[in-house]
Amino acid sequence: MSTGFNGFGAAYFDGDRPIGKEVSLHIANNNLQIGFDNGTTLFWPLEDIRTLEDNADKQSFTLRLITDPLARLLVTDQMLLGYLPNATRRSPPKGRGKLALWAAGAVAAVALQVTVLVPLLADRLAVFIPPDGERALGEATFEQIRDALGDTGLAPLAICENPAGTKALAQITAALNAGDGAPEGLSVAVLDHDMINAFALPGGFVVIFKGLIDHAETPDEVAVVLAHEIGHVVSRDPTRHALRSAGSIGILGLLFGDFAGGAAVLFLTERLISATYSQQAETNADAFGYARLEAANVSPAALGTMFERLRDEHGEGNELLGHFLSHPSLSDRIENARSAADETRNYAPILDDAGWKALQSICD
Amino acid sequence: MSDVSLTSPTTDPAGLLVYFVGTRFALFWLALKTGFLTVITLGFYRFWMKTRMRRWFWSAIRPGGHPMEYVGDPWEKLLGFFIAVVILTFYIGIINLLVMFVSFSIFSSASVGYLASVVGVIPLWFYAQYRARRYVLARTRWRGVRFGLEKGAWGYAWRALVHWAVTLLTVGLLWPRMTFWLEKYVTDRTYFGSARLNQGGHWAMLYRAAIPFILSLLVLVGGAIWVFWLDPIVVSADMTTDDIIRSVEEMMDGGAAALPVVGVERLGIFLIGILGLLYGAIHYRFVSKRLMANHKTADGITLHSRLSGPRVASIYVLGSVIAYFFLVLGVVGLVIFAMLTLGPSAMLGGAMGDFGAAVDLPKSIAVLLIAVFYLSIFLLWNVLYSTFVTFPLMRHIAQTLSLPQRHGLQVISQRARDEFAEAEGFAEALDLGAAI
Repeated sequence: MSTGFNGFGAAYFDGDRPIGKEVSLHIANNNLQIGFDNGTTLFWPLEDIRTLEDNADKQSFTLRLITDPLARLLVTDQMLLGYLPNATRRSPPKGRGKLALWAAGAVAAVALQVTVLVPLLADRLAVFIPPDGERALGEATFEQIRDALGDTGLAPLAICENPAGTKALAQITAALNAGDGAPEGLSVAVLDHDMINAFALPGGFVVIFKGLIDHAETPDEVAVVLAHEIGHVVSRDPTRHALRSAGSIGILGLLFGDFAGGAAVLFLTERLISATYSQQAETNADAFGYARLEAANVSPAALGTMFERLRDEHGEGNELLGHFLSHPSLSDRIENARSAADETRNYAPILDDAGWKALQSICD
Repeated sequence: MSDVSLTSPTTDPAGLLVYFVGTRFALFWLALKTGFLTVITLGFYRFWMKTRMRRWFWSAIRPGGHPMEYVGDPWEKLLGFFIAVVILTFYIGIINLLVMFVSFSIFSSASVGYLASVVGVIPLWFYAQYRARRYVLARTRWRGVRFGLEKGAWGYAWRALVHWAVTLLTVGLLWPRMTFWLEKYVTDRTYFGSARLNQGGHWAMLYRAAIPFILSLLVLVGGAIWVFWLDPIVVSADMTTDDIIRSVEEMMDGGAAALPVVGVERLGIFLIGILGLLYGAIHYRFVSKRLMANHKTADGITLHSRLSGPRVASIYVLGSVIAYFFLVLGVVGLVIFAMLTLGPSAMLGGAMGDFGAAVDLPKSIAVLLIAVFYLSIFLLWNVLYSTFVTFPLMRHIAQTLSLPQRHGLQVISQRARDEFAEAEGFAEALDLGAAI
């Protein structure tokens, strides 16, 4: 039995020449018989015929044979579709192994770069940046942070510059930043923000948030944090960190596209503030800080007191705790601070009452 | 299609016409469907979306009544994206780091580094552009025969850089030269089966396409001379820019101008000039394509385009306005939908803090809802833009194109497949594959 179809408007393309051939169309013995003017006939098994998907035209459709990637048959008779059992079945997928390989490769490449390559390179290069360059890097990131935390992006976050407070701050800084290996050009700034945090930037910038001063009960508690940050400055940890971030900006932008690029920059700013250094860097900064405190005759135990209070009030989710205590455990750190204090020694507060009052009102 | 010569392409005296079939609604539906899937898969379906949209558009364009065919595979696009990410992370990450290092070490500033980092991506951008074109052509067929583009992406990239440099140095005077030579570079490497295309003509012919732009520029410059110099609006002799801005602001508020002014309505000339510039830019972009299409040939094949600059401009303007109108309707609809599903108290609660909110959403869910809302608007805009701008534009371009001479088709045969592992991955990764 043979069923005939309207061949008007139908055309066969052999997959070699861009010349359409007129055809007659019949179905017999589960084959589509494509007859040509010269008397030859092609047989397409019905179950091997597929239609091309997402066709824009309702009046015509294109058929292909799964065993021939090139030949095409343009058909206008809608009746024919009803005879094709697998017209819309998908071809079996191929090359998925390769895809999985590259997908894994992409994830591994990004991970390798963000966690190993960029840090390694940044650490090596950080040593070679001249002081001027480091200073510029610090200024740039400082401004970036002020802008990001500023009032809805209109004005950058204010620097607190009350003269008496500034004087008190300078007094602490001078007391801590003395002796051998003291970094030159250290600048300590207080930013008018409620965050209980402090951080160091490249080029000797140390930033303390007003929130930290508000939270501290004694000037010593500010001093211990400052001493720790100076420790980071001395070992150039922030420079490494900033270089790493610069290297990562491009990668993150690539992955998230333009529209999330702004978010990536914000994310990096956040990372700069809550910079988590390696355990070794933290331990070194602590050791450096304790030595400076000893030299200034201030008890390192203040660090333990402050952390303990923070933990009780805010839990371990606090920014400062997150920043300071990410690697060595919190209780170890408190313990270390306590044991760094010499019990037989007669420590004095770093500021007198008047100086402490002045520092507390530095943002007024 | 009864008047179309379907099978013997050499007998139609008017040449082989290009038809466009398919309805706007069908496209809208396809775009909406695939766009929705893209949103709920967090963007991963976009490779499928792009493939399906192209398949639809290609099958709608029918030179001589026979559809074009797009055989690109979404999986190969996904693979290409991964390949590009692997290569680009190393390039961009490491290069960025080195550039920033040099910038701080030598120039003591970040801006040099940022600039270098952006400039460094530009050659890659051109490279990706050519690769994307090559991929699309390699996956395009007509009458079962493949198109193709020869290798040469780096050649394209450095030529593009030089042309841009020349164009910038001549303040845009040699822009047509750049348009022409870059298009010629690509066209001369384009094949249909065994036939190689050739871009004829001369770059100076493209100045014709720039006439509306040049005229608008002249109107602006002439207007400026007239209004500020020959017959100044402000009568006072010692005026400053601040005074002018203040006067304009006061007039906008409905008050009297602070300065004595004459014939303020003449400032309208700038509005005309700027609108003219916009029109001129669209006109140049498309009419230059038309002029060059008319000089594209292969052995025994010629192209002819009757594309109309004003028509294309009106498609852009009307299409964008309609798309924008429906976008606003859609956003209002989404808000009403959210009100109905979450309850008005949730909306009010959101607006006034969680003061007495009936629906106490966890923060993560609220953020997710906002993200979905944002993505939906983004999706809606894409769908509407495809429907009201891309669709009529493609239709106009197709329907105004024809092949007056095509006996050369008789001697064309198939070309080998271009495997092209990374598809348009670079273009995708560098975010320049937005256009169809």
